[in-house]
Amino acid sequence: MRIYQWLDSRLNLKSVERTLLDEPIPGGTSWIYVFGSATLFLFLMQAITGMFLALYYAPTPDHAYDSIQFIEEQVTFGAFVRGLHHWGASGMVVAIGLHMLQTFLYGAYKPPREVMWMVGVVLFLIVMAFAFTGYLLPWDQTAYWATQVGLNMVGTVPVVGEFLMKVMRGGEVLGALTLSRFFAIHVLFLPALLVSLIAAHLFILRRVGPAGPWTDARASLSSETFYPRQVYMDAVAMLVVFTVIASLALLVPFPLTDKANPADTSFVPVPEWYFLFYYELLKYVHGPLEPLATWILPMVVILVMLFWPFIDRNPARNPIRRPVALGAGAVFLLVVFSLLGLSLKNLYAVPRVDPAVARGQALFAQFGCAGCHRIHGVGGAVAPDLSFVGDKRPDREWHLKHFKDPQSVSPGSFMPKFPLTDPQLNDLTSYVLSLKKTP
Amino acid sequence: MSEHQGDGGEGGAYTPVGTRRTFFGWVTTVAAGLIGFGLAVPLVGYVISPALKRKEQPWVDVASPDELPVGDPKQLDHVTTIQDGYLKAQSQNAVWAVKQPDGQVQVFSPRCTHLGCGYRWDGEVKQFKCPCHGSVFNIEGNVVAGPAPRPLDRLPSKVENGRLLVVFKEFKPGTKDPVEL
Repeated sequence: MRIYQWLDSRLNLKSVERTLLDEPIPGGTSWIYVFGSATLFLFLMQAITGMFLALYYAPTPDHAYDSIQFIEEQVTFGAFVRGLHHWGASGMVVAIGLHMLQTFLYGAYKPPREVMWMVGVVLFLIVMAFAFTGYLLPWDQTAYWATQVGLNMVGTVPVVGEFLMKVMRGGEVLGALTLSRFFAIHVLFLPALLVSLIAAHLFILRRVGPAGPWTDARASLSSETFYPRQVYMDAVAMLVVFTVIASLALLVPFPLTDKANPADTSFVPVPEWYFLFYYELLKYVHGPLEPLATWILPMVVILVMLFWPFIDRNPARNPIRRPVALGAGAVFLLVVFSLLGLSLKNLYAVPRVDPAVARGQALFAQFGCAGCHRIHGVGGAVAPDLSFVGDKRPDREWHLKHFKDPQSVSPGSFMPKFPLTDPQLNDLTSYVLSLKKTP
Repeated sequence: MSEHQGDGGEGGAYTPVGTRRTFFGWVTTVAAGLIGFGLAVPLVGYVISPALKRKEQPWVDVASPDELPVGDPKQLDHVTTIQDGYLKAQSQNAVWAVKQPDGQVQVFSPRCTHLGCGYRWDGEVKQFKCPCHGSVFNIEGNVVAGPAPRPLDRLPSKVENGRLLVVFKEFKPGTKDPVEL
């Protein structure tokens, strides 16, 4: 306190404090206003966990996968920190979605707040760019193939697509240059851009003031200072967000798939859930119409979103007096969520079987492994039960060595050596690794 | 109304005061504290954990004791693979082995105990000599001359199945007693 007083007497902090905290909120504080600060909180958490992940991460194809595995398995709290960053990314998309929805419902994008809305839309696009560039960094199969698909989609843009894709990829193949440029964009370029635009977003907010309730009558009825009640609501919301993200990070593991293997084309990549609706859309559009879905439609949607305050000229903010805008918004959400729902249904209705796993299962039968090993109650009980061996021994290298020469990794084992070719060895290992409690 | 506090603005902004203000402030502090604590503990552990890990040094086969001449120190290659974070790295060192008349082998760390320079064996005068500051050790590793504060550091060694095995260790230079790094 005395230090604060001393600093205040030099730097005149009290007036800054008043400016920051005594901002009047028309119509009073509300729980519905917490989404912006929840998004800001998640961004700060992403920034902090990201900096800490960078302590161990190596952005080269040789080491990226190993360094993430090191974080997951060796570093104390490593899996938790990575979990926070992973789930925080999803949380950020949710928080932004709710924040935009609230802004839309309240008509808070209307004059004089058009610029704030436009900066907000750009912020949203930057966050999506964060998600896309961050997805590649673990350099596992999912990362590699999902990014391959993403880049190929850029390639379908007429005329400039091919060139654009090569620039993003940094050359002819998805490789070392792609990884380092995605890393640099993810940790240097985008954060700089995001921080400046967040500053602009908040600067505009303080210049024009918060919008408040949609009826001017209610807004002018009363007004309340930002501190203490809105700060309290924001703090509680942040604590809830943190608790949810931390619980997910602790309870839902986010494992790596196998190391990226450009030769293995059997891998079916799945994008993050927030790109799924788009992924689903592409299933319905083929041939000459494909560019329509891959870039014309997204371009139109982005432009409409960006210039929405100028398209919706209705001066009313009350949702009841804005049937066209709300109808358009509802249709948009309905389309997005239907596609997302369809995609999730398709993904989880049929369990995806890796062809390698199926081939491995056939080998298991062919070599009579069930004579000694039991899987879910079927087979002999002489050798270890393999029902959940994928959980117990997730190390691929171990199995590869084991099948070649069992005694080399488990001395005293009476398992015979099997004459397997390298592809057979890989398939059998894929099958054994697929034997997990959670498929 | 005591809970209203006009600030001279248009219509005035309402600010909770009294116990309500205290409650909001208190909850805000607790929420901030919980988040801060929930992040600080894992992040501190995350940063310092590799620092607390002891490098595990394995027994490494360096030579056959039969090949070593008695009373003539030999420098032997000590090559091992160590885990350097997520990398497996080749660690290459050299150790001095001295076979005693009774057949026992004494193994010395290759660093001078003064400031860590590499020393060499001078067969003419039967002494270990450090080129940096002129420390001299006899064949038992004891200091004969120069600034070295303690005898040469001995490394754990053993003979198994006719092979000489050595564990490589590093010691802090300049101290009176050997301090393992």
